[in-house]
Amino acid sequence: MSTTLLKTGQLIILSGVLFLLAACNPTVTRVDSDSVTDLSGKWNDTDSRLVAEEMIQDVLSRGWLSKFNRSEGKSPTVIVGTVRNLSHEHINTRTFVADMERELINSGEVEFVASASERDEVRSEVKDQDLNSTEETRKALGQEVGADFMLQGSINTIVDAVSGEQARFYQIDLTLIQLGSNRKVWAGQKKIKKTVEKGGFRL
Amino acid sequence: MLIEQAVVLRKNVCQMVCVRSILLIGICILIQSCASYGSHATTMRDGLLQGKPELSLAIAEQKDPDQEEVIASLDKGMLRRINGDYVGSNEILEVAKQEIEKLYGVSITENLAAIAINETLRGYEGDRYEQLLLHAYMAMNYIQIGQIDGARVEMLQANVKMMEWGDEPEEDAFTRYLEGLIYESLGEQDSALISYRKAYTVYKEKGGQQYPVAPVGLKKDLLRLLAKQRLWSEYKSYKKEFNMTKYKPPKVSKKFGELVVILHNGLAPIRGETAIPIFSTEVQQNLRVAFPTYKQHKKRLYTPQVSVNNKRYSMETVEDIDALARYSLGQAMPGIMLRATARAVVKYNTQHSAGESSALAGFLMTITNLITERADTRSWTTLPQAIELKRIKLPVGEHDVQIQMLNTAGQPVDVIKQNVVIKSRRTSFLIKHWSAPVPKLNQVVTQ
Repeated sequence: MSTTLLKTGQLIILSGVLFLLAACNPTVTRVDSDSVTDLSGKWNDTDSRLVAEEMIQDVLSRGWLSKFNRSEGKSPTVIVGTVRNLSHEHINTRTFVADMERELINSGEVEFVASASERDEVRSEVKDQDLNSTEETRKALGQEVGADFMLQGSINTIVDAVSGEQARFYQIDLTLIQLGSNRKVWAGQKKIKKTVEKGGFRL
Repeated sequence: MLIEQAVVLRKNVCQMVCVRSILLIGICILIQSCASYGSHATTMRDGLLQGKPELSLAIAEQKDPDQEEVIASLDKGMLRRINGDYVGSNEILEVAKQEIEKLYGVSITENLAAIAINETLRGYEGDRYEQLLLHAYMAMNYIQIGQIDGARVEMLQANVKMMEWGDEPEEDAFTRYLEGLIYESLGEQDSALISYRKAYTVYKEKGGQQYPVAPVGLKKDLLRLLAKQRLWSEYKSYKKEFNMTKYKPPKVSKKFGELVVILHNGLAPIRGETAIPIFSTEVQQNLRVAFPTYKQHKKRLYTPQVSVNNKRYSMETVEDIDALARYSLGQAMPGIMLRATARAVVKYNTQHSAGESSALAGFLMTITNLITERADTRSWTTLPQAIELKRIKLPVGEHDVQIQMLNTAGQPVDVIKQNVVIKSRRTSFLIKHWSAPVPKLNQVVTQ
């Protein structure tokens, strides 16, 4: 009688230990970078990708490119300005801006110049070359290409919530502004809406 | 035959010893997890009281290396902040935020444990005021590392949280006020006005209870923005309500900027444990229950006084965390007592049934139940006792700012010095923590 009791006790403890051990090993599964993984309902890679896709497709298909080509006889040069995060989440805007930049550069129709933060490092390198590089390979200062357009934007959100349920609406606006004339030549927009429901119970 | 029996017997003994030691370990773990948060907090806060915040941080950092407990992360966040590590503070407070989110919803196992063993086995997600102040402190960290957009994000998150709590709006006055300050420093005056209005509503409705009475500074901010947006009828009615008929909105000049001084003064109260016997009608017995209380009375704070350019300004209390903590515990008390009574009955029954099988088992069970009956003394104790604020209009340029801490006789006991730069029509923030006068040995306190 007492032995069976003990055995059950041991079993319970054993299963507990096993459970604990199982919890120690993280399971890793590799997934395609295009797959949708919505975990918490917050801004994630899928949102960033959707924005990049929409914006790239839009910015390459609009008339500002051909117009500029016709009038200036060269492809436009763009600089990335700031994309302000006015949403309720800490969103890294660099991801979709970098996606856009890559697609535009690779399309061969648009050229990009280094942004304000990137420039400093490049300039210090050029200055360093002035002292240390051979004459043939040395790059001169003051030979940078001035940008024709600046890409600016913002992320805004509207959140509606009652206990346990949320509706999140993201609006991402990007505009290309012609430097000098301040004309807006392109405006891209992407809207994303999600509903998030939280469970009322947990273990 | 005899040998076989002996082997079986030895096996049984072995098993029993084994099971007992496992049980013992289990009880030890339980007791350890019951080691009250209050005593840990007292040691941790000693450093702050002796002017050695780095010691407090070292003690806090030792706790919870897996970063799973909300309370430990909150303490680390606050102490990293006080030690000037704003980025690190935000990292750990973000962890606390995620953990709080995981604790959303009613836990079945934790509630069972709370009824069978004690309340400390429930996940600690922080009281509502603590959850909102988490965002406020993260926002202040962002301000102090110069990322005001990040501060804005935190305020919007606090906003969502308040929205979620819905019908009975549990808004936090200081969080709303800070939100307004952040909006205004970003040039979003329309949003700032809404925040000030909401902050004022909280002060008006709950002022003198869990909140201080509406600060005069906030009233002026409200009137100033109403005038700027030409909402004259509301302006007039507020002017009348505030009894500030002589108020005139100040003129905006390029030669001036603004300094916002925020002082986190003192330390939040600590919960202690009180145990009382209560009579249970169910088992017709007196049963011992433990519950948290604030044993110490509210402490008298030192009065901060800001001086810049030979002018002195008194600060206003914008958040009374001591009052909030006591109020919050008072609100939770009926639930705590209900669970405590239920727990006492459950424990009595386990003792009783164990006692029926053997006297020793009954005795052991009684001891276990006594030891495990602990009150939940957790609360964010590295918070200040009060938050004080003053907005000062200053000419553009560098200024030496002093915050003097005055005792009841009006004598300074300590001074915080800081150089600030004021930019044209911009807001500069000066955010400081002060816990207690540092005992200075062999040193005369100079004014």
